[in-house]
Order: sequence, then C-alpha cells, then structure tokens
Amino acid sequence: MERLLQYVFDGLSFGAIYALVALGLVVVFRGTGHLNFAQGEMAMFCTFIIWQINDWGVPLILAVIIGMVFGFVLGAGTEATVIRAVAKKSAGGVFVVSIALFLGLNSLATMIWDRAEGYTMGSLFPNQPFDFVRILGAEWRYKFIGVLAVALALMGLLFLLFSKTKFGLAMRSVASNPDSARLVGVPSGVVLASSWGIAAAMGALSGALVGGINGQLTPSLMFSVFIYASAAATLGGLDSPGGAVIAGLSIGVGEQLVAGYIPGWIGQDLKLSVALILIFVVLLVKPSGLFGSLKVERV
Amino acid sequence: MLKIKEGSLQHWALRIVGFTFLALIVVYIPTQSETARIGQFTSAFTLIIAAMSLNMVLGFTGQISLGHSAFFGIGGYTAAILIRDHGWSPGYTFYAAAVIAFVVGCLIGLPVLRIRGSYLALVTLAVAVLFPTLLRWKKLEWLTDGAKGIDSVKYDELPVWPILGELKGRDGRAVFAYWLGLLVLVIVYLVCRGLIKSRVGRSLIAIRDNETAAAVMGVNVTRTKVLIFGISASMCSLAGVLATLKTGVVTPDGHYVTLLGSIIFLLIMVVGGAGTLSGPIIGGLVYVWLDNTTRGIGTDSTGVLGFLFGWTDQSPATLILGLALIVIMLFAPTGLVGILRKLTRRILTVTPSLSSRRTVREVLQRPSR
Repeated sequence: MERLLQYVFDGLSFGAIYALVALGLVVVFRGTGHLNFAQGEMAMFCTFIIWQINDWGVPLILAVIIGMVFGFVLGAGTEATVIRAVAKKSAGGVFVVSIALFLGLNSLATMIWDRAEGYTMGSLFPNQPFDFVRILGAEWRYKFIGVLAVALALMGLLFLLFSKTKFGLAMRSVASNPDSARLVGVPSGVVLASSWGIAAAMGALSGALVGGINGQLTPSLMFSVFIYASAAATLGGLDSPGGAVIAGLSIGVGEQLVAGYIPGWIGQDLKLSVALILIFVVLLVKPSGLFGSLKVERV
Repeated sequence: MLKIKEGSLQHWALRIVGFTFLALIVVYIPTQSETARIGQFTSAFTLIIAAMSLNMVLGFTGQISLGHSAFFGIGGYTAAILIRDHGWSPGYTFYAAAVIAFVVGCLIGLPVLRIRGSYLALVTLAVAVLFPTLLRWKKLEWLTDGAKGIDSVKYDELPVWPILGELKGRDGRAVFAYWLGLLVLVIVYLVCRGLIKSRVGRSLIAIRDNETAAAVMGVNVTRTKVLIFGISASMCSLAGVLATLKTGVVTPDGHYVTLLGSIIFLLIMVVGGAGTLSGPIIGGLVYVWLDNTTRGIGTDSTGVLGFLFGWTDQSPATLILGLALIVIMLFAPTGLVGILRKLTRRILTVTPSLSSRRTVREVLQRPSR
C-alpha cells in the first residue's frame, strides 16, 4: 500500500510536468492548428533566461515572471514574423520551421551558456530535506505538490479562457476558419500571435519548475519532458486541454507503476517505450486521441 | 534567352555535355582528392540516399515522417549483426536489410498511416525515440550488444571490382566506400525516378495534393501509402548499411540512428527541394559542405566569423543550419532546386517537342479500362 501510494505520488508529480508542457502544445494547436515542435526548446531557453536573471540577484519568483514575459514576446514575435509568413505558403512549412527553431534555440543556448556540468537551479517551492508531507507512510515533497497545483490551476485558467472569454471564442473561430473569422472582424493576427505567446510563457513556467525539480540546468533540460508531453498531447487529443492534463497525469502514474512493479522486464530505461506503445494502440482505435475532436474536411 | 526544342540536336548535345561534366567530377573526386575529402563525399552519398527515401514519403506523398532514423538504424544493425554473428559477406547484407526494412516499414505504416497531419508527426516521432531505447533494452542485448553497440564490422578483404583494380590500405578502403556509395545512390535514384515518372508517382502526388480527391479518382490510398512507406524504409536502410560499412561501428547513440538523424534527413530534403528528384542530392552536398566548413568556427576564428562567433567555444553549425532552414522556408519554399530552376529558365527554355505532345494525346484517347 505504502509502495503503491509512493508510485502514485511520484507519478502524479512527473505527470503534472508533462501535462504543463502538453498544455502549451494544445494552446498552439487550438489557436493556429500547428504543432510547435520547438515548445520544449523555447521553454528551455526561457529557463536559462530566468536562471541568468536570478543569478544577477533578482529573486527567483520575480525572475520567473520576467522569464514568462520574455517567453510571451519570444513566442508571439516568432509567430508574427516567421510562422505566419511561412503558413501562407504551405502548412507543412510551419512544421519544418518549428524544427529549425528547435535546432537553433538548442544550439544558441549551448553556445551562450556553455558548461558541461550545467548550472544549479533553485526551486520555486520549499525544498529542504524535510519539506514533505507523509500520507499513509508515503512521502510527497512540497515541490512536487506545488507543480501539480500549478498544472491544475493553469488548466482551470485555460478552460475559462477558451470557453468563457471573448478572446477564447476568437481563438476558436480563427483556428476553425481564419478567413471567415477575419471577415467578421476578429483580429486574427493578434489572436494567432498571442496563442504562441501564451504557450511560450507557459513553457517558461514549466521550464522553471522542471529546473527546480532537477536542481540542475542544461540545454537538454526539456528534451525528454517534451517527448512525454507530446505523447500526452497526442493521447489526450491535440485540441483538448483537459485531455492533455488527464493524459499527462496518467502517463506519469502509469510509467511509475510499470517501472516499479515490473523492474526485471521494463525497468527505468524502457518506461518511455511503454508509454509510446500505449499511445500507438490508442491512436489506432481513436485517430485523434481520447478527448480530441475529429476534424471533418470538405473536399 | 535561348529557346531549344526537346529532343532536338542542341538538346541532346546539352545533355551529353552535362552528363560528361558530371561523370568527370564523379571520377575526379576519388582519383585526385585526399582521403578525408573522399570520405566526406561518401557520407554525403549516405545522407542523400536517406533524404531521397524521406522525400518519397514526405516530399511526394505528403506524409510527415520523423521515424526514418529508425529505418536507417535497422539497416545499420542488420548489416552489423549478419556480418559479425553469421559471417555474411557484406555485399549481401544490402539485400537482407532492404527486405527486413520493407517488412518493418509496411508493418509500421499500416496502422500509422490511418493517422493524419500533426498526429502522424508525433507518432513517427515516437517511433524514432523508441528505436534506440529498444536497442539498449537488456532483453535484446544478445542481439544488439546494448548501449555499446557493435564495432569492427568491415570488409575483411575488399572485393576486386574489374574497373577499379586492386585497392589496398586505408586509402583503398575510402575509395571503395566511395564507389559503393555511388553505386547504391545511382540505383536508388533510378528507382525513385522510375516510380515518380510512372502511374505510382502520379498517385502519390494526387494523394499529397488532395487525399479524398485521389481516392475518388480511383487511387487505392491505403495500399499506395503503405507500399511507398515500405519502399522508402528499405531505401533508407540501404543508407544505414552504407554508413555501417564505412565506419565499421553502429551504436544506439549513433549520429543518424537517433531522432537527430530524422531531423537531418528532413533538413537536407527541404533545403534541396522537397518533392523534386534532384533536391536531396543538392541538399545533401550542401549540408555536408556546410557541416564541414562551419565545424571549425569558434574561439580561434578571425575576421567576420570571429566577430560573430568568437565569444563561444561551441560550433555554431547547428545554429547556422537552423537559420538557413528558416530563411529557405520564408523566401524559397521550393528549396535550392527551385532557385536553380528559376535561374536557368532565364537563360534557357526547353520547349516540349511534338513527340511528347503526341504521347499526351495518345494517353487521352486511350480507351478506359
């Protein structure tokens, strides 16, 4: 029981991080219909900015906010300058550009913050050795609870944004038909840029959280997290924020359980594969994810 | 501006001159250059083959695949395992790799190609990430040797090819690898060309441009997609075999076996020109050239490069490639081939001849089956 609970707690904590990054993917996909392959690297770059500002003596919480603003500008700027121009020419081009961003940002971060052993990153939440609650014998650290709370809060905010605000309505209309949206007066440029901006700002926050949990910062910070997050977004359906969070959490818990209870066969190195194969199977039955909506196309 | 007719004497003369020029370059490299240069061209050939295989799936059929590094790896590992454990002669491993990769490609393609667009990109991404972890898996260690990979896979003795004469030593190996790479490249190119210029190629392009319309016109979409995925996988595995035979080593972290490989193939294809037959060739040569020239840039550079990149120890190669990719997507979505075509059209236009027009009419008048 204690062991099971420990696995669930660990799983929920890691799952919350996957869910956060997956939410960023979902925001971009809902707003623009594109897949941002560079989501993880944008987050990593912003995290380095946060670290740098914090290193200059600004308190971490303030640095995170500045980093999120930087992320918003980075994301919105990228969309307004590059992505939109390319999207006009070909839809597949956006994917290629996001791969180029992935390569470029990773390489730029490696060039600027060039140190093999990485940097020490502080945590946003209390992180002393005794900072944990004990529930039925299993330990749950405050920083993990904090990450889960942030992910759930963001999901709630996004849900409100999408379904209750005028901006959310504008986002949905632009995603489903940009031309008609523009004709009825939706400022589609602003909407497109801000969905990239929001996603990148969320990325900055998730990067800071991951950095705080790892305690260490290297240019490969977000890579495996991004793989898990893309798996979560695919499983939940690329256009469903709730799906991303549920899928992220269940992938997190699932991998801990599998790795914990079948160590001989699966173990630590193969848990990612289990998640990916599971998604493979789900997509066979439901090609647009568990909670995603099927896109109907007209010829 | 010059205007010539297709199939006329001038056209043939131009073709022969072009072909001779190409042949001279191809022979010049292995006979006159230093060994390192020959090796660079051999790796360019390997990458070109991989990019060509991706081009069939992504460029011509419009199906995003990030999983081609896995097929590259399948080729590399098939060769290594067959040579080391079963004592095969290296030449035969090409056939084995092609068959295995074709089967695996079809098996993966069958479920995967039901999925469209961004989901497809993510699922093939999963394939690329899965493959190296499978290679490292403890339960498969008897086959793949786990994380350390398989090494010293090489020709014990280079086979004697009639024209090349006897090749010996390190230089001889490089020259042999060059010709072997070129041979495979030419074969793969001809297969691609044959496919594209035939009925199959027209169905692929129809699927890319509008899947529903293609199905309505009588293209068996699923069968065509799965088949081309399998063919593409088997071409990519040939590149993997070549890479393994050249370096003699294959590991799960190998340069083109991981996701990075898929990204590089994509880069080469797009820079050269997606959906064109010559695009991957130009893209591959440019990539290898850029990769080799930018590698040295760093702290000890001088001049403009030193000013731009002198503050870092790291090579800016990837950054430059990333930026180049964005610029190309912004200003020349058809890639370098598109630019070249535009330029040549200013100087020279080839007007189709009567004979080719007659063929079109014949096609139109042929009674439908």
